[in-house]
Amino acid sequence: MNTENTRTRDLNRVLNRRRIINLTGLAAVNLLISLWMGQQAYRWLPPQASAESVLVDKLFSFMTAVGCFIFIGVVGTLLYSMVFHRAAKYDTSDGPPIEGNVKLEIVWTAVPIILIIWIGTVSFNTYDQMSILGAIAPVTMKTVPTVPLDRKKEVLANPNPTDTSPPIEVNSRQWAWEFYYPDEGISSTELHLPVNQRARFKLTSEDVLHGFYIPAFRVKQDIIPGRAIDFSFTPIREGRYRLRDSEFSGTYFAANQTNVVVESEAAFQQWLTTAAASPAEPAENAASKEFTAAQNSGRFRWKTVKPAPAPTVNYTSSEKDSYE
Amino acid sequence: MSNALLEVESPRLPPQPETPESWRRFFTFSTDHKVIGIQYIVTAFVFFLFGGILAMVMRGELITPEADLVDHTVYNGLFTMHGTIMLFMWTFPMLNGLANYLVPLMIGARDMAFPRLNAVAFWMVPVFGVILIASFFVPGGPSQSGWWAYPPVSLQNPTGNLINGQSLWLLAVALSGVSSIMGAVNIVTTIFRMRAPGMGWFKMPAFCWTVLSAQLIQLIGLPALTAGAVMLLLDLTVGTSFFEPSRGGDPVLYQHFFWFYSHPAVYVIILPIFGVFSEVFPVYSRKPLFGYKVVVVSSLLITTFSLIVWVHHMFASGTPGWMRMLFMFTTMAISIPTGIKVFAWVATVWGGKLRLTTAMLFALGGLFSFLFAGITGIMLASTPFDIHVNNTYFVVGHFHYVINGAVVMGFYAAIYHWFPKMTGRMYYEGLGKLHFALTFIGINLIFLPMHPLGLMGMPRRVASYDPEFAFWNVIASLGGFLLGVSTLPFLLNMLSSWSRGEAAGDNPWRAIGLEWLISSPPPHENFEEIPIVISPPYGYGSDEPLVSNNPAGAVNP
Amino acid sequence: MSSANVESAIDPQALNAQVAHVTETEEDNRMFGFIVFLLSESVIFLSFFVGYIVYKTSASATDWFPAGFEGLEIKAPLINTIVLVSSSFVIYFAERCLHRENLWGFRLFWLLTMAMGSFFLYGQAVEWMSLPFGFKSGVFGGTFYLLTGFHGLHVLTGVLLQGIMLGRSFIPNNYAEGEYGVAATSLFWHFVDVIWIVLFLLIYLWQ
Ligand code: HEA
Ligand code: HEA
Ligand code: CUA
Ligand SMILES: [Cu+2]
Repeated sequence: MNTENTRTRDLNRVLNRRRIINLTGLAAVNLLISLWMGQQAYRWLPPQASAESVLVDKLFSFMTAVGCFIFIGVVGTLLYSMVFHRAAKYDTSDGPPIEGNVKLEIVWTAVPIILIIWIGTVSFNTYDQMSILGAIAPVTMKTVPTVPLDRKKEVLANPNPTDTSPPIEVNSRQWAWEFYYPDEGISSTELHLPVNQRARFKLTSEDVLHGFYIPAFRVKQDIIPGRAIDFSFTPIREGRYRLRDSEFSGTYFAANQTNVVVESEAAFQQWLTTAAASPAEPAENAASKEFTAAQNSGRFRWKTVKPAPAPTVNYTSSEKDSYE
Repeated sequence: MSNALLEVESPRLPPQPETPESWRRFFTFSTDHKVIGIQYIVTAFVFFLFGGILAMVMRGELITPEADLVDHTVYNGLFTMHGTIMLFMWTFPMLNGLANYLVPLMIGARDMAFPRLNAVAFWMVPVFGVILIASFFVPGGPSQSGWWAYPPVSLQNPTGNLINGQSLWLLAVALSGVSSIMGAVNIVTTIFRMRAPGMGWFKMPAFCWTVLSAQLIQLIGLPALTAGAVMLLLDLTVGTSFFEPSRGGDPVLYQHFFWFYSHPAVYVIILPIFGVFSEVFPVYSRKPLFGYKVVVVSSLLITTFSLIVWVHHMFASGTPGWMRMLFMFTTMAISIPTGIKVFAWVATVWGGKLRLTTAMLFALGGLFSFLFAGITGIMLASTPFDIHVNNTYFVVGHFHYVINGAVVMGFYAAIYHWFPKMTGRMYYEGLGKLHFALTFIGINLIFLPMHPLGLMGMPRRVASYDPEFAFWNVIASLGGFLLGVSTLPFLLNMLSSWSRGEAAGDNPWRAIGLEWLISSPPPHENFEEIPIVISPPYGYGSDEPLVSNNPAGAVNP
Repeated sequence: MSSANVESAIDPQALNAQVAHVTETEEDNRMFGFIVFLLSESVIFLSFFVGYIVYKTSASATDWFPAGFEGLEIKAPLINTIVLVSSSFVIYFAERCLHRENLWGFRLFWLLTMAMGSFFLYGQAVEWMSLPFGFKSGVFGGTFYLLTGFHGLHVLTGVLLQGIMLGRSFIPNNYAEGEYGVAATSLFWHFVDVIWIVLFLLIYLWQ
């Protein structure tokens, strides 16, 4: 009985000085690990090829650090208990009958509140700066160019010619992408964009939901048949990237991919001229190929919606594997 | 007061070996809540195995980048049916089973409020289960539109038949809804009106609180899903155009109907598991549940919040900016009541006298997974980040960590913990620990790699993918097979312990709770004498008796 | 277990009060369950209403009604509404009679309720016949028939339930101590009426 009571009193004095020093030390170690993990977070993501990606990655790194801190804190405590608070083999006594501790409970309600206000605010600011969505967002959400401060100079040095021209039309269907440049009257199955300029799009679908997604740009938008959606972002890194359908769209959903080429203004103009000069031809279509192959193979399958005819375009790329 | 009631290790004879008679009653239209509970659990587990085998084929497909094991149509059918079976035929029935078995025992009732309704609700499970599985054999195969059945894909019906995978799917989901509503009405009534004398709200075990909170969600949310499903079925069969954009319909409205229920549904699933944690941790730490009142009230807070966050599944669906921001904040707010629970469990375990039995290990493993998933959940709630990972494997990783990591492990914790009560026999601890080790390793091996995959941009619901994703997929598939294998020691353990395990006694864990005051398995009608409750539910370390009479009747002196 | 420092504050009086509360009858449970069920059921209607509002507010004025259709006639549905809503009072009188053990009064008012419900259904059928659009005529046609049809099914169910209760009133001594079935049917009927009022406001008045 005596020991029991001393133990209880001990536990009640959780906040004695040595404990505080120890706890602070542990929290500092946890903080260091978490900050380090936050830095690692950048390495788990594709290259930062758009202004948006810089913002999103920063946000992710921040959340990784906070998340790590919570995770290590909680799991660490649990592991400590599992190792040091085990009952001895024949010890059938009970632990201290602590039913709660109001101070502690207030602290651990307040801390998450503060944390989510923090995470929420950072996310909100990030979203506000991205402003990737046009028309359907109400006017009150301001449409500032998506350029993080550290890149602002570089981008502003470039005049933004696409701002005045009509947006690139993105037509999606089961299962192909088609990009139409209204000024030049060019259509293509590969998306070409000039670097460091705000790219603007009008997204439409002919049949079902599709999703416009370029991982290297960290942007994504569902396309809803019957609506035209305004969408925009700013590519900032030259290269070839993958564009994927992100909203499940039926049998050959997986094949509904294409490339995005981000190039210098000069190369882009060059591409426009070449494309304009070439006659429109039916493009290659991965879904149709898979469909025919499936028809001819003896493999078990169920009946499927037939792929729509491949788009007829001025430009189609056969380079498949050289994207990032 | 004597504390004998808490400590009786009953010196009685072991229960009679199961005679064929009592074995057969599990196949009858029994109205005993304990029989129904076990019927639910066993049926659900059979469906879990079935859904799991579909997942094994999927993992087999995904071990290579090409769609070489099965055709795309088959793969799409597989993940659709996997998701549907796991949610509607495994988790909901399984949790209803636990609730059915435990709630009347824990609140000191002889049975549920409506025993016959209870039996009817259960027997609908095999009925819609068969309908769902039969859809594999109709022309055109099962539904291939994912478990969300988003139109217009779900309306495409390439066979043109009236009876097709999608319509059977809708029928099964609707029937499952009806069954769940029946169950919910029953459970809510039972908890409100059949508590033993003395069991005020704040003397009720946390498990019952979580079950109540979960069933309230069912009552509020399911009708919305039903409304959406009815409209979708009419579009599909009659030719109305509610969700058909080419004729003026609005496919996004369906998404609202669907998620208005299906988001809260995830809390229907997790809440009873929270309840299991709240029961298991005190027993094996020999300490009262820390902050009991706050913990149980936070269940109701979760219920409330869960109804106002559904749009976080639609951040990329063409929702306006204000909606995105609003639902981002509400979603994040869920972490407050949830955090209260998590910290309370940690504090319960802290400084206790831990005994790492299989049940305790599973509960700790479940908590570990839940914490991880909760943190990725908060990341997903952050709209700008969700826009990048929405519909990628990051999401698949997030929810399997909860649903497989926390829920399935929590289920195992519950089964190991109450197995002696349900059967009167002891399971094999060694096999149990092996089961835990395999499950824990398997889960992390398969679902952790899904996070880098998602961050790299691998979409979900694909049978073929770009070669850059191959590395993590191989690891995930191997982990998946390990996870599949991990069910074998469990099956072996359960089957052999049930038929020839050691007799367990009434209260092998020296646990506090009404269910532990009566014999194992509990007799028909549970209590000889309805217990009169005089203490709060987790009196570890304080020697106060739980009841003032002897619910087991004459047997215990 | 070590010590026995038990100072549990058990208040026997409070305990007795709680013991008394268990003696609630099973009938009360059924009523409780039925109310829970109705609350849940109302969410289905709520969902349909929300769907209707969303469709109506997002459709442009021109393509809401099917081509060539100007709008719904109000007069006949208004009469229907009045009949249905008053039947809620009639059924209340029926219940009052039952409480006063006036069985014939009960049967009379009960039958009157059934007649009024049937009149409503008839009126609805007549209206449906006269409409120039069908279930498949766009979103308006769809929601109109969905809402009125789903509600009509509930009225039909109500009338059938009333029929059963009426029949059971002829079993001797059946309703001697009040009857759960009657109370539940009557509650259901009020529920169906309230839903109709909302529905009427939404579909007929808000055009
Ligand atoms: C039981 C199941 C379950 C549970 C409990 C949860 C819990 C949560 N989920 Fe999850 N979720 C699913 C199952 C579940 N989810 C499923 C099945 C899907 C996908 C469906 C599909 O698309 O097919 C999904 C998808 C999903 C999405 C959509 C992603 C997308 O499609 O793009 C989002 C976005 O916000 C989300 C968020 C959350 C959040 C914030 C929680 C929170 O409840 C988590 C709260 C918990 C914690 C945060 C940890 C503990 C708290 C603390 C220790 C306090 C301190 C912490 C902080 C302050 C951060 N989930
Ligand atoms: C409770 C819910 C639940 C549970 C428990 C699981 C369990 C598992 N799930 Fe999940 N899953 C979902 C719910 C669930 N899932 C949902 C809702 C989706 C989304 C669907 C959609 O997009 O529409 C999904 C999607 C999903 C995907 C993504 C598919 C895609 O988007 O393309 C994958 C991929 O790996 C997967 C894998 C697994 C695996 C390996 C398990 C394992 O835990 C399974 C383990 C069990 C067994 C294996 C069974 C028993 C084993 C034996 C009988 C013997 C041993 C056999 C062998 C070794 C072969 N699931
Ligand atoms: Cu094999 Cu994909
Ligand atoms: Cu959700």
